[in-house]
Amino acid sequence: MEIQMRLQLDILNIKDVQFGDRTRITEGVLYINRQELQEFLKEDKRLSGVDVELAHPGEKCRIIQASDVAEPRAKTKGGVDFPGALGKQGTVGQGNTCVLRGTAVVVSECRREGDPPMQPGFPRHGRIIDMSGPGAELSIYGKTHNIVVVPRPANEISVQEYRIALKIAELKAAVYLAKAGKDLEPDEIEVYELPAPSKIGKGLEHLPKVAYIFQFIPGQFETIPGYPVLYGSNASSIVPTLLHPNEILDGAMVTPYRTMAIDVFGLQNHSMIKELYQRHGKDLCFAGVIITVGQGDERENERAAIMSANLAKWVLGADGVVLTKSGGGIPEVPLALTAQRCEELGVKTSLAITHYPADVGDADGSILFNAPEVDAIVSLGTPWNPITLPPVERIIGEPAAFPEGPPVDGPIETTFRWMKGIFSQIGNSRLIAVRY
Amino acid sequence: MLTKELERAGLPTSHICALTPVAQMVGSNRIIPASSVLHPVGDPNRDPAAEKAFRRGIVEEAIRHLQDQSNG
Amino acid sequence: MDERNLQSNREFKTHRSPVLSDSDNSMLNGVRIHGKEEDKMVGKPLRVVHYLNQFFGGIGGEDKAHAEPQMKMGPIGPGKAVQGAFGDQGKVVATIICGDNYFAERIEDATTEVMNLIKSQQPDVVIAGPAFDAGRYGIACGAVCKRAQSQLGIPAVTGMFVENPGVDLFRKDVYIIETENSARRMSDVISKMVNIACRLVAKEKIGKPSLEGYFARGYLRNEVSDRIGAERVVSMLLAKLRGEPFQSEVPPPKYDRVKPASGLKDLHAATIALVTDGGLVPKGNPDRIQAREATRFGSYSFKDTDGLNPDDYEVNHVGYSPVFVLQDPHRLVPVDVMLDLEKEGIIGKLHKKFYSTAGAVCVVENIRKMGQAIAKELKEEGVSGVILTST
Repeated sequence: MEIQMRLQLDILNIKDVQFGDRTRITEGVLYINRQELQEFLKEDKRLSGVDVELAHPGEKCRIIQASDVAEPRAKTKGGVDFPGALGKQGTVGQGNTCVLRGTAVVVSECRREGDPPMQPGFPRHGRIIDMSGPGAELSIYGKTHNIVVVPRPANEISVQEYRIALKIAELKAAVYLAKAGKDLEPDEIEVYELPAPSKIGKGLEHLPKVAYIFQFIPGQFETIPGYPVLYGSNASSIVPTLLHPNEILDGAMVTPYRTMAIDVFGLQNHSMIKELYQRHGKDLCFAGVIITVGQGDERENERAAIMSANLAKWVLGADGVVLTKSGGGIPEVPLALTAQRCEELGVKTSLAITHYPADVGDADGSILFNAPEVDAIVSLGTPWNPITLPPVERIIGEPAAFPEGPPVDGPIETTFRWMKGIFSQIGNSRLIAVRY
Repeated sequence: MLTKELERAGLPTSHICALTPVAQMVGSNRIIPASSVLHPVGDPNRDPAAEKAFRRGIVEEAIRHLQDQSNG
Repeated sequence: MDERNLQSNREFKTHRSPVLSDSDNSMLNGVRIHGKEEDKMVGKPLRVVHYLNQFFGGIGGEDKAHAEPQMKMGPIGPGKAVQGAFGDQGKVVATIICGDNYFAERIEDATTEVMNLIKSQQPDVVIAGPAFDAGRYGIACGAVCKRAQSQLGIPAVTGMFVENPGVDLFRKDVYIIETENSARRMSDVISKMVNIACRLVAKEKIGKPSLEGYFARGYLRNEVSDRIGAERVVSMLLAKLRGEPFQSEVPPPKYDRVKPASGLKDLHAATIALVTDGGLVPKGNPDRIQAREATRFGSYSFKDTDGLNPDDYEVNHVGYSPVFVLQDPHRLVPVDVMLDLEKEGIIGKLHKKFYSTAGAVCVVENIRKMGQAIAKELKEEGVSGVILTST
């Protein structure tokens, strides 16, 4: 029996993606049998059709209505793919996972007339990934070969059912593609191995123990019944708990429908977890990960704050924790409450946040908490800064009928908020909002 | 922040708010915890009559605070 | 600034990334600077007007604080340091002197009077003070600079001590160099002021407040660090754990406190109004209240028999899911319960209009203005107390 969770990522560096007669990988090129993939995804009766398009870095191409992104990965040994979400339940975080690095599956949403947008004021182009120009320079998805999946809803299904089908199509495509690499020699290997808290630390006693409290659901948005978020089920009401970091890297967690700057791709390549892994044994001891959700109810937030702090201090033995949030301003309250409780117990905290609460011209109101002990805050950028996108030659995805606006292939004056892959709530971005 | 301007103008204002730490930070004076961000003076888990009684409880508390000189 | 701060600032890339192309001009509230390119370095020196109070202008002390605005040609007192700092690049053509009390007692009009004198000199740039910790003087300097920018479209720079009330009033509009609380290091401060002024004329990018020595104006601008956020936050924690100094990238917010109004003495005589920032509006959002960064509010009547009918309302607010409120608007605006309380005589009257706006992504200034406007209307309509419901 294994003594600790060991995950090996077998990475294939993909140089190009093309359509071909068979889905395979040859000399670093991923060939996709387009028809086969489309038909496979269309097996979901909630969909009336699925298009698959390719977008390459450097192309004058714009992907619109990008609702989520996932890295093509498939378990080759020791687990199931996206357990619970794709049907089969099982454990993840150990064994081998094949990764097609340099590619990404982008799922683009189609809105039927009458379907509500993700939120008020959602522009008709939704979230954008540009493959060239300033958008591409700043976005991680401007540099990946993107396989764009555009599923169309069947007429009679509700918008909520469609949104689940959307996520499932994204995950299925990601697995289908990665399976093409399962028998190949990897170009690179990454190993993630962390023993249980009681077994950790042999020889690392002198290093500070650092845990990560990961708020992965903000609590300000509606939960779609049946949405697979954690091991295939909703998790909007869970109390803080422990997950092994490998479980997050290996598909146990999937983003809910409405997210702000976190994708499945981001979870698979979780920068906070990777950072702690990289420094484990060097300047810190990675004590573990606590997952928590923001709540709309103050008492539940208070409960989550106490339980998270206790898990960090008394179960993981952490000396310090880093914390992040998902969502906008409201989730900063449970975030700050949790940090305060940690500090009360003598566990030092640092936070990394994006500045959603206030407009760019109002730096003073840009965070929703003010506790003197919560004094170590890293800025992950503000969504309200403008960006001008150039005209493009090709659009992938369908603009919504409302609100009306200029053509989506023309130049677009927008803000960072509507771009994918530039921001990250979990620290995978070099953006920082500076006060002037 | 709205509450401060109302108080500044001489109108005692009770703030029923789901995120009381924000209200405290921003400087509201009479803060009453709401039921939830998604339904500040409601509770869809109760039947209508019970929900209305629950709502009344919160509102009555808010009215009591209007009579205070201040809320600490 | 400590060593560590300088260190971390140096790590940032200083090249202009594409996203920042328009920010310089937008930074000055949309004012275009008519920088005459040929005056930039060589050629005609900039015409500079300097604003001083009665003391620094050499007219007198407190006894002359009522002095009306007057103009003298050339630099006076500290103006000589201003002239020295500009060197060949600028000429202090005139100095406007005004008594602190004169200004403080009629700020708007005094600003106009001073501006008329300034205008007559057709300057390219205005320098005011520095005012150090003199409050009336600081307010005058700030007001003069702000108006010079908006009315004449030219850069205007001043300097003050952090506790000078002029700082909070004007730092969003004007570059205010930070000074000590006395007039020591006058020439150092003036050098910094002049330096920024010249660069503003040349439309060059002004660096970060801590580097350049001015008070943060309250804008957030995205830049690209050399390290990803995850690395920065873990390193910051380790520094904190080791007890080493660290520089938080986000300072705590500052909110002013307000003395609460007197409580209602007689509930039975009181008229109470309901206000919400949860974005509840009649279907169609007739007042087009924005779902975020709202600048508008609305007041909506309801009949005292019915309360709020879900078919008549919608929610326009980006920060929460309105599902439950749409089912029953009373879950946000408790008209039904208030009507009962009115019928039972527990409260005098329920105001038959509720006020609504959206409290998502607030701009403090806008919320303040709306609060003042709502308060004014409510008082005019005889309301004596308010219940505000927020998500």
